[in-house]
Amino acid sequence: MGVDRRKAAVFGGALALRLLLLVLFPSLPDLLTGRVEVSTPVTSFKRLQEGLFLYTRNVSPYDGGVFHQAPLLLPFFSLLPNPQLFPLPTAVFYSLIDLVNANALVTISDSGQAVSGRFYSALRKHIRWDGVSIAAWFLFNPFTVATCLGRSTGVFTTTGILYAFASATTGNSLNAMLALGFASYLSIYPALLLIPLVLLCHDRQVQGAKATPEIGLFALRHFAIFAMSIVGLLGISTVLIGDFYTLVSATYGFQLLVPDLTPNVGLWWYFFIEIFDSFREFFLGVFWLHLAAYMGGLTVRLRRQPLFVLTSLLGVFAIFKPYPSISDASLYFALLPLYRHLFPLMRYTFFAISALLYATLLGPAFYHLWIYAGSGNANFFYAITLVWSLGLSILLADTVFAALRDEWEHDNPEKRGKEAKQV
Amino acid sequence: MTLLSSLALLLLVALSSLTSATSDYHESLILQPLPQSSLLASFNFRSNESQESFDERHFRYFPRALGQILRHANTKELHLRFTTGRWDAESWGPRPWNGTKEGSTGVELWAWIDAVDDEAAFAKWITLTQSLSGLFCASLNFIDSTRTTRPVASFELMGDHPASSNLHLLHGTLPGEVVCTENLTPFLKLLPCKGKAGVASLLDGHKLFDASWQSMSVDVSPVCPHLGECSVQIDQTVDIVLDIDRSKRPRDNPIPRPVPAEQLVCDTSKPYHSDDTCYPLESTAEKYWSLTDIFGRTISGSCPLAEGPFHEDPVCLRVPHDRQVDVAPGAVETKKPDGFTRCFTLQPSTPFDLTIPEQETTSQVPLDEPVLRAERTIVGHGQERGGMRIIFDNPSDTNPVDFIYFETLPWFLRPYVHTLQATITGNDGLRRQVPASEFIKESFYKPAIDRERGTQLELALSVPAASAVTLTYDFEKAILRYTEYPPDANRGFNVAPAVIKLGSHDAANGPNHPIYIRTTSLLLQLPTPDFSMPYNVIILTSTVIALAFGSIFNLLVRRFVTADEASALRAQTVKGRLSGKLVAIRDKIKGKRAKTE
Repeated sequence: MGVDRRKAAVFGGALALRLLLLVLFPSLPDLLTGRVEVSTPVTSFKRLQEGLFLYTRNVSPYDGGVFHQAPLLLPFFSLLPNPQLFPLPTAVFYSLIDLVNANALVTISDSGQAVSGRFYSALRKHIRWDGVSIAAWFLFNPFTVATCLGRSTGVFTTTGILYAFASATTGNSLNAMLALGFASYLSIYPALLLIPLVLLCHDRQVQGAKATPEIGLFALRHFAIFAMSIVGLLGISTVLIGDFYTLVSATYGFQLLVPDLTPNVGLWWYFFIEIFDSFREFFLGVFWLHLAAYMGGLTVRLRRQPLFVLTSLLGVFAIFKPYPSISDASLYFALLPLYRHLFPLMRYTFFAISALLYATLLGPAFYHLWIYAGSGNANFFYAITLVWSLGLSILLADTVFAALRDEWEHDNPEKRGKEAKQV
Repeated sequence: MTLLSSLALLLLVALSSLTSATSDYHESLILQPLPQSSLLASFNFRSNESQESFDERHFRYFPRALGQILRHANTKELHLRFTTGRWDAESWGPRPWNGTKEGSTGVELWAWIDAVDDEAAFAKWITLTQSLSGLFCASLNFIDSTRTTRPVASFELMGDHPASSNLHLLHGTLPGEVVCTENLTPFLKLLPCKGKAGVASLLDGHKLFDASWQSMSVDVSPVCPHLGECSVQIDQTVDIVLDIDRSKRPRDNPIPRPVPAEQLVCDTSKPYHSDDTCYPLESTAEKYWSLTDIFGRTISGSCPLAEGPFHEDPVCLRVPHDRQVDVAPGAVETKKPDGFTRCFTLQPSTPFDLTIPEQETTSQVPLDEPVLRAERTIVGHGQERGGMRIIFDNPSDTNPVDFIYFETLPWFLRPYVHTLQATITGNDGLRRQVPASEFIKESFYKPAIDRERGTQLELALSVPAASAVTLTYDFEKAILRYTEYPPDANRGFNVAPAVIKLGSHDAANGPNHPIYIRTTSLLLQLPTPDFSMPYNVIILTSTVIALAFGSIFNLLVRRFVTADEASALRAQTVKGRLSGKLVAIRDKIKGKRAKTE
């Protein structure tokens, strides 16, 4: 019961913090909605409002260049009162979504899959945080709070991903596939998580049941469930909007081809502003291929730790997806404390954290210098996004190193604590 | 020369009797002094060609070059405008021709094209813009799909068209186009007298484009004055507002100089007035001017083609009748009964000049009050987002004004229609927030698609009497690819003016001709990337990506060994063996040296 009380305190505190910020600073949500670090063209709440305005007036929201989000958000948000006049219901709703996400994190942590799975059990599994601490770390992370107040629709993708993980770690593989289908329907990139997630489901199934399901058939069945869920959601969307082709080209086509080069914290926007026209398609392909390449490499090498592969892939997405925001980074940071036992093995934490803090503090300042003050140019903000990406990728590489080192020590107990090299 | 021209005239008269009686040519010039020492000169040239001759490609007064383009592009009605400057409605009153012959700043073109469907119409439209671009030396070929709209309610057919035709209206603007002499020369070439005779001989590029405001228009439409007797009419106008003082400056010495001290009229009532201090008094007298002063030349006689038995006098001047006007000998003056207009005839091959001496006057030509004042501005700061503010001011104390508001926005300006808000300022001067639906009776909104089409917004609005309605909405500025910026990217991008149409050809209200008002064009600042470093950006981004990819895949493909094992392994590699040999050789040499010592 004591744990429950702690959990209630953390969740209540998080809800209170969000509502308090809204009451104390009523202009904060609109300010954060306008920030490029929080809202991207595919998650912006203001664009959602515009799409909603057109949708409620029977104009196709996809016959225009502003709205590129999933169609199912439209009927859902049309139920909420106008956020310009009544901001509170929307804020409460977004805060509740955050709590739901935190709850999924608690489930993932309590399942213990992060420290011991089917093939592998970490050596330092006694060094770990409990679920409530991880939820608190997520809920009181300033990035999460900013995303919540900025009403980015990326939080729904986060919910889908976290619920897919939570269901997979508790052995409910059907729900995991449905949740991942929902996340992929909202924003296309979570589909890359499918293979490690199926492996996680399979490992969990083998651990729980006596009979071992055949892996090929298991994967095929789960892929079918995943595909069916997406087809079903797209079917409902087509019924809602009507024109399937316009819908797909305005949502998925937009996310794949990256025509809107609004600044964000990622690497794509400035690159595709400056790239020569004849190489645009080539580099678009290269960037997507690069993003997808991590999935294969990590899955094969870290086959024994599928949840770690999923976590690292979220880190990869936070750096390399076309329209990243701080909400993607906050999702990665939310899952990292599950690997508290790897922290002692990490080498460059100070450097990575310094780079991230530096980018966090200077990013808004340099953006202001470029856009408003006019005393800096685009390179200022671009340089900061480079530092941000560099910091995140150092952190990512360092955790991968720590996980591999942990596996090595697990396999060679006699070499534990010795100086090691990679050849 | 005179023999030749009279021969040509004879030939023309013979021809005209052969073809149709409707074919004719008219030209006129109306001069009207405006407040603040300005002068409005409205030139109008109108000619007809019967529909049969037009279809048989038989052109007399109608310019052949334009006729061929129109036939080739299936264009049934054409309206082309070249405009620079701003009409100062506060001082100058309502616009000439009720704004129907005026265009948006830059070039504006709209046409009705006969085609089976929208796509065919657009293909013909591209043909039309390309051909007109060549004919008028203007960048009309830059009117692509992003600058083309299909207005629903803002423009109406001016001519009489057969009911069977399937007409498509297309509209395009180039707000950044600089109108200059290269556009005037082809414009004058369309005239039967080519600007060599008649009122068109006054048009000189140096003076015309030095004006405070000028607008050139070409309108082509079929007209059927009598049943079954149709003709194609071309109506060309040039309207200019010239600053009299500025135009009177000699061309070889255009720098304004201070009035000599002895000619200054001083206000002697000022306490500081003395021999060397003067408070100059504004002259109350109407200024002296003449056609030669203002236009730099005289009218070189009448255009012989414009003469006919029913032809009205071509040059009219709108000043009070008590104003003294001196004209060149031979010209006949006719005073019109309205008390303000007098017209003059022109003689063939005789220069015509008109001089108005300085004179103290009490009466003025009254100017009407504009029915609506409109103002459109961009508000907000920063290059990320902004807002549009449109103010409609109805000066009438009794009548509400109904009108159509039409605006096109480039695709890189992304409006958020859900933020559309209205405030009204009444007689009491208080601003009240009201729902926009209170004024907007109907709306047509077509959102932009990136790099494909612009935004089109048409609103049917009604502004109550004696009040000003302000509409505002937010927009976001897109950041473009670096090749999409013009060379002067930091100057900003031109946004086409909004068009406001009041009244219409309403059958119930009789011949109620529409009035058009256009706002000024806007300058939009977009965020700009650094144009100097595409290579650096490609290299730096690739480096960061390569660092992440390299470090992660380096970890993934290598295996762990202890430090001891690592050195042992290194010894087995080719590199290890080589370095081992080197060490051995070095040791040998050292050993030898040690021995010799």
